[in-house]
Amino acid sequence: MDSVDESQRTLYPYVTGSSVVAIKYKDGILMAADMGGSYGSTLRYKSVERLKPIGKHSLLGASGEISDFQEIMRYLDELILNDNMWDDGNSLGPKEVLNYLTRVMYNRRNKFNPLWNSLVLGGVKKGQKYLGTVNMIGINYEDNHVATGLGNHLARPILRDEWNENLTFEEGVRLLEKCMRVLLYRDRSAVNKIQISKITEEGATVFPPFSLKTYWEFSAFKNPTVGAEGSW
Amino acid sequence: MDQNFDFNAPHSMGTTIIGVTYNGGVVLGADSRTSTGVYVANRASDKITQLTDNVYVCRSGSAADSQVVSDYVRYFLHQHTIQLGQPATVKVAANLVRLLAYNNKNFLQTGLIVGGWDKYEGGQIYGVPLGGTIVQQPFAIGGSGSSYLYGFFDQAWKDGMTKDEAEELVKKAVSLAIARDGASGGVVRTVIINSEGVTRNFYPGDQLPIWHDELESHNSLLDILGAPEPMNI
Repeated sequence: MDSVDESQRTLYPYVTGSSVVAIKYKDGILMAADMGGSYGSTLRYKSVERLKPIGKHSLLGASGEISDFQEIMRYLDELILNDNMWDDGNSLGPKEVLNYLTRVMYNRRNKFNPLWNSLVLGGVKKGQKYLGTVNMIGINYEDNHVATGLGNHLARPILRDEWNENLTFEEGVRLLEKCMRVLLYRDRSAVNKIQISKITEEGATVFPPFSLKTYWEFSAFKNPTVGAEGSW
Repeated sequence: MDQNFDFNAPHSMGTTIIGVTYNGGVVLGADSRTSTGVYVANRASDKITQLTDNVYVCRSGSAADSQVVSDYVRYFLHQHTIQLGQPATVKVAANLVRLLAYNNKNFLQTGLIVGGWDKYEGGQIYGVPLGGTIVQQPFAIGGSGSSYLYGFFDQAWKDGMTKDEAEELVKKAVSLAIARDGASGGVVRTVIINSEGVTRNFYPGDQLPIWHDELESHNSLLDILGAPEPMNI
């Protein structure tokens, strides 16, 4: 049923990154991810960069198996290198890069040897903003806001409510931070060290890592079981 | 990986729980995260549950199993206290927990740490892990987060600590476990039990120390940015 030896197939992930969240905004795309690399339920690595610029026009965010993400980066480096070697003044835009990734992911899935990732690809070329996603089984789609993993359940509803196409950079950052904070509260594999990156016609910027403040001062949190001993 | 969020998975307290004796009583500590699979069902749970005025229990493992065991023990201890005419001893409370855990070992998945103070033996900590063993210890750690604390306690625990030293140790330890165990998180709760009574404390996540590879927290990236600092273009 497969094209490689049993021992060569990816069966389950080992070091994994959690959700990526991304939105279109006025000038381009904003993307956020934490810097955690979990090893099962251990938060083993806390400085993993999961947002990377690709070529001149794209940003890639990855969740899932980190070693597979690193392999994907090698494929993309080669893709961009070959694109540059044409020296023809044209460069691959975000839609083309995501299409390439979709083919890679889908073909691996058909050989029962997937790259265990969910990827977010955003970018701007000639004023056109683009944001899409592809996952380990080759499902690929574009939208005004996308997320991977638990972000689909926790962040997308917030974005459906509060996103609009004229967000400024500041509004976009605050919206992403709102999503990342909810993920911090409610996703076991989230780590409080976040990177936000943006891509505009001018180019890509990955901002330095930072931590978000969290809120615990509800009076119900201080003594939840008063009057109901034994509950949680 | 994306398609596998089982929101109907059994509620489990991944957990870090700790009980430490000091020279006048005990300090119990725990995190506050209850998870169903990867989703955090409750980020501010109270895992330190009262059995009597002077005996508390730290719960880990299956949330349902640990709740029902402590409910039964509280019920039996209440009757026992009335019959005895004075507060139950920590040893009796711990043994009641053991009886339930041992006799139902094929059905239960919960590890407990019983701690308290009585006038006969002073402060005591009893561990009751899976299977229903009972073991009295000067300090006990349990839950998934405890894996990260064996080395820490081997080095940091000392006999004859004061109340404040013991509480500081517990708070530091839970906070270290939270930093590395995905199944532990939220706030640190401590309960101090001695001859004078019981004190509950609450330490929210942002009041805990910062460990290796962690950063000071901010309200927003925008507060930190002067001009955007590009890392790579």
